[in-house]
Amino acid sequence: MKLHIVNCAPDAGRVVQQALSAMTTDDRLLLIEDGVQGALPSLVDGFSGIEGRLYVLREDLEARGLMSRHDDRVTVVDVDGFVTLTEQAEQTLSWY
Amino acid sequence: MRYAILLMGAPYSDQASHSALRFARALLARGHRLETVFFYHDGVYNAARLAAPPQDEPHLVDGWAALNAEHGVTLQVCIAAALRRGLMDEREASRHGKSGYSVEAPFELTGLGQLIDLGLQCDRLVTFGP
Repeated sequence: MKLHIVNCAPDAGRVVQQALSAMTTDDRLLLIEDGVQGALPSLVDGFSGIEGRLYVLREDLEARGLMSRHDDRVTVVDVDGFVTLTEQAEQTLSWY
Repeated sequence: MRYAILLMGAPYSDQASHSALRFARALLARGHRLETVFFYHDGVYNAARLAAPPQDEPHLVDGWAALNAEHGVTLQVCIAAALRRGLMDEREASRHGKSGYSVEAPFELTGLGQLIDLGLQCDRLVTFGP
């Protein structure tokens, strides 16, 4: 299992699409920095197909005032959870 | 686990440096070992010894140096990326006939071979891009 880390908003080029196309069926995806916008209800449909494997970083949601506005289908993790995700994955791939 | 971080974002231009430093602190707090932070592309600006950010903002250069002092994290800077951006230690400055220098210990100039070694030797290599 690989952890894919995305730091770009869904509307900033094709980074999200490239990450999704590289994912296998048990890979996970973590949204950080501007990527956390992808966890908003209006944008989360762009991640259909990886339900249960989509994560978002709490600190970056909070920094953008989006903490209570994310979609329930996205799992919120803090930076400690970020480290845990990297422990559980054999490799990490960053998309930027 | 043994971790390494590859940082490719410039300080204060984007969030990458802050994200990487926060991640470094978190993994050390969980008992992991952080072997090295490797600074590449615009990430090399994190090693600028003359950086003087406002006092009410995080001082990234000092933040990296603290990781070295407290946890023995080596701070490796890609020499090819650094030299072309005007970042060099005293020895390279002398070699290139420059009157000043912009990188000092605990940052060390090194080559991309070190990054390959990190990828091979560490359990996890996590990249923070611009």
